Amino acid sequence: MLRLLVPFLLLAALVGATVLSDRPPKPADFTFINGNGDVNTLDPQRMSWQPDLRAARMFFEGLTANDVFTWGYDIIPAVAESWEVSDDGKEYTFHLRDDAKWSNGAPVTAGDFVYSWRRAMLPDIASDYIAFFLLIEGGPEFYDWRNDALSEYEARPAAEKTAEAADALWRETLERFDSGVALKARDDHTLWMRLTEPTPYWLDLCAFAVFYPVYPPLVSAYERPSPDSGRLDLKAGWTKPDRLVSNGPFNLTKWRFKRSMRAEKNPYYWNRDAIALDTIEMPAITEPNAMVLAFQTGAVDWVTDVTVGYRADIIQKKKEFYEENREQYEALKAQGLDPIEIDRRLPKDPRKNIHVFPAFATYWYNFNCLPKLPDGRDNPFHDPRVRRAFAMAIDKQTLVDQVKRTGEPVASTIIPPHSIGGYESPKGLPYDPAAARKLLAEAGWPDPAAFPTVEIMFNKDAGHDLIAQAVAKDWQRNLGVSVSLDQKELKVYRNDLKKANYMVTRAGWYADYGDPTTFLEINRSTDGNNDRKYNNPHYDDLLDQARSERDPEKRMAILSEAERILVEEDLPLVPLYHYVTVYLFDADTLSGVNPHPRATQNVFLFDVLGDGKGPDVPRTMPALPPADADASEEHAGADGARP
Amino acid sequence: MIGLIFRRLLALPVILLVVYTITLSLAWAAPGNPLENPEGRQPPAEVMEAMKRQYNLDSFWRFYASYLDSASGFEFVRDTLSGEIAGERERAEASGLAPRARPVFDFGPSLQYEDWTVNEIIAGAMPVSITLGALAILIALVIGIAAGVIGAVKPNSFADLSTLAVALIGISLPTFVIGTVLLLVFGVWWAILPVGGWGGIPQLVMPALTLALPFAAYIARLTRMGMIEALGSDYVRTARAKGLPERSVLLRHALKNAFLPVLSFLGPATALAMTGSFIVERVFNVPGMGQHFVNAVLNKDLFLIMGVVLIFATMLIVFNLAVDVLYRWVDPRIA
Repeated sequence: MLRLLVPFLLLAALVGATVLSDRPPKPADFTFINGNGDVNTLDPQRMSWQPDLRAARMFFEGLTANDVFTWGYDIIPAVAESWEVSDDGKEYTFHLRDDAKWSNGAPVTAGDFVYSWRRAMLPDIASDYIAFFLLIEGGPEFYDWRNDALSEYEARPAAEKTAEAADALWRETLERFDSGVALKARDDHTLWMRLTEPTPYWLDLCAFAVFYPVYPPLVSAYERPSPDSGRLDLKAGWTKPDRLVSNGPFNLTKWRFKRSMRAEKNPYYWNRDAIALDTIEMPAITEPNAMVLAFQTGAVDWVTDVTVGYRADIIQKKKEFYEENREQYEALKAQGLDPIEIDRRLPKDPRKNIHVFPAFATYWYNFNCLPKLPDGRDNPFHDPRVRRAFAMAIDKQTLVDQVKRTGEPVASTIIPPHSIGGYESPKGLPYDPAAARKLLAEAGWPDPAAFPTVEIMFNKDAGHDLIAQAVAKDWQRNLGVSVSLDQKELKVYRNDLKKANYMVTRAGWYADYGDPTTFLEINRSTDGNNDRKYNNPHYDDLLDQARSERDPEKRMAILSEAERILVEEDLPLVPLYHYVTVYLFDADTLSGVNPHPRATQNVFLFDVLGDGKGPDVPRTMPALPPADADASEEHAGADGARP
Repeated sequence: MIGLIFRRLLALPVILLVVYTITLSLAWAAPGNPLENPEGRQPPAEVMEAMKRQYNLDSFWRFYASYLDSASGFEFVRDTLSGEIAGERERAEASGLAPRARPVFDFGPSLQYEDWTVNEIIAGAMPVSITLGALAILIALVIGIAAGVIGAVKPNSFADLSTLAVALIGISLPTFVIGTVLLLVFGVWWAILPVGGWGGIPQLVMPALTLALPFAAYIARLTRMGMIEALGSDYVRTARAKGLPERSVLLRHALKNAFLPVLSFLGPATALAMTGSFIVERVFNVPGMGQHFVNAVLNKDLFLIMGVVLIFATMLIVFNLAVDVLYRWVDPRIA
């Protein structure tokens, strides 16, 4: 009989042993869910996901940073304490602070930046943001040379592919870089670079996580030239807690795959006294409902991406809460307080923990602008008047209120208004079915029944189908044309989009940096992301003019005119709404989140209110001018744009 | 017994090679590019081609050979003998950095999770899945055997029918329903258990229970059948005739034999429970192995697919062997 108990005892012993060996960590000062899963990579040069970039800002620090508590996201010193820009706007000299240190105590040098940015320029690394680095003079030539040299190496007979040959190619690559690329460490504390053209947002890019430095002795141990291909053989492993050397406010002390990440204050960080948190825990949760439950039960303090199906209902409850406190709410709003501070001053209520902020991103519908459709028929949308008519026939407000239901602002422009300091958005086109019908008739389609069936292509995920139905209904009702819906798998959709194999399709864009060109360049006729195949020489010309304009005010005016052409005249795309960022956090106990559309949240600046650590005083955005009926007259960023 | 273990262990590499070949052929034939990042920006075409060559994704046979080489441990042995591993360690120590980990069985890098090797991913997820699986099987055994014995003692009684009903529900209700109901009742309404995550005994309870129920139901049916058969046999009649107390008859004599089919079910069941359940892991946010079986295939992450499949195959073989050994030990007639 005892023998029968053996399997039980074995299993019980196994459970006991693993539970004992895996003790839960002490609760952290602050716990949040970073995105909807785990961080993808902690290698700054290879990042492109929002959660990765958010983590990078905790563990690393760049030359500059954005002051996220200003509406203009002003540039402030970080590793660089000062810098000079040449008169032609092409040369930058950065002076690194003496007390910037790596987490092992070694000083951060200009050479570390050269090493890291060179990594990003190598085809071996395949950085998503390589185009930014190729703005440096000599960069494109260096990239092409390395690519050719690697092809040549691979074509060699096997006998010539030795470790020595690969090392020799690597040495030659380094020499090429040093002699050809205008990025130099003048000394340990002086970094100099020259760009191919004046780039007004260069300092903003320097604050972008992909430009953060890595520790060369560490990374080079994991990246050695492979004798087989000549390229760097990238080994994973240096981003792990026991090995990672970083230079940011926090150190990585634990990272367990798809489970949790833990950060502790870096004792070597130069600005450590400004940090109010000692430990941060980031559990990885993928299930949207589990995230909400984790917040409601107090297990986490902040959910960065609320995607659960019933989020519209939670947002509705917050609207009801505002409605109940209407007078107080309006009074606070009139003072120009930021939305988080308004919540903080309203009565305590769990309903106010959901926060909806406009994002630096826009959802739109593309028109194929080519003269012919992929099947050879004449393309009616080649005519800008037709595109304008279709744009004016979409009831965006109803779409946002009844289909989306998550508080997205209606978009009449591509660039979210007030997201960029000193930039004035054009008005865009109104919803006007009568004018739309008239315009369509003028364009040669007096009988809408004769208009070819409009095909809307979309991928089936994330509610795109509902939006397509709403748009189709508007066009049928307001213009009298017939519309068909063409649902595709994500990969097929993406492929057809890139090949302009569509008539009308859904699309959108998340901006990369704080300048209008991040949205406008993708409509340049030669741009790789011009999926609409839009081609207006005047528009391209305006972008060129803006490139060479040295006066920031005039430059912004030129760009504003370019956007006006897009959203009032040519309409290669119809902006429908601006995306929103939906957070869950309690404003009464948390300070440091900013409501800016660019949503750069610096977790290292967060402060848990009332925990006795840090100043325990909420940080707020500067007051906005009193809310105006016409939002376009508000210049949210105007005061803070230029340092 | 030693002979059996020896024979099985000898067969292990052969079975693994067959599993390896079949799985890789199927995974290779699936459409899609494993290097493509579905949401990210795509690298230029020439870089993509070069990356394919770097990971041997351009030739089935080169991939087949190189992966077999590193996963089987041959590469490790070769590099140890040639002194490359020692050299690497010296270089790292000379520059004051922690050396790169070199596992014996190297399942390669994950193509989707670029900061992780497959070994690291499995090393992180295995303990979680093993704990959860072991506890689930333990719970399933306790519930299943108890229910089975009760049912067998009085067949067709109310107790029997109700355990039958519960077992039926356990088998037919999908785990996401059971899991969500448990979550709602214990996690949200009563709030006596944490709603998810991993770390301590409280977090273990609900996922283990959810995972256990289908197994418990099956074990209950097996035990009931075995017990009914045993209770009708001659040796039980003899035991009763000797005047043994009923408890002793049931537990010492009947159950011992009735347990044998359960024992043979335990091998594959334990392997299955310990390699995780995608749904249970998702509902309770458990960082186990189950997610990788599904996600690796969806992402066509070849290295990860091969890694988890090989580990699963090994576990299946080892647990079956363990059960066979236990079997003989519990019931010497079989040897």
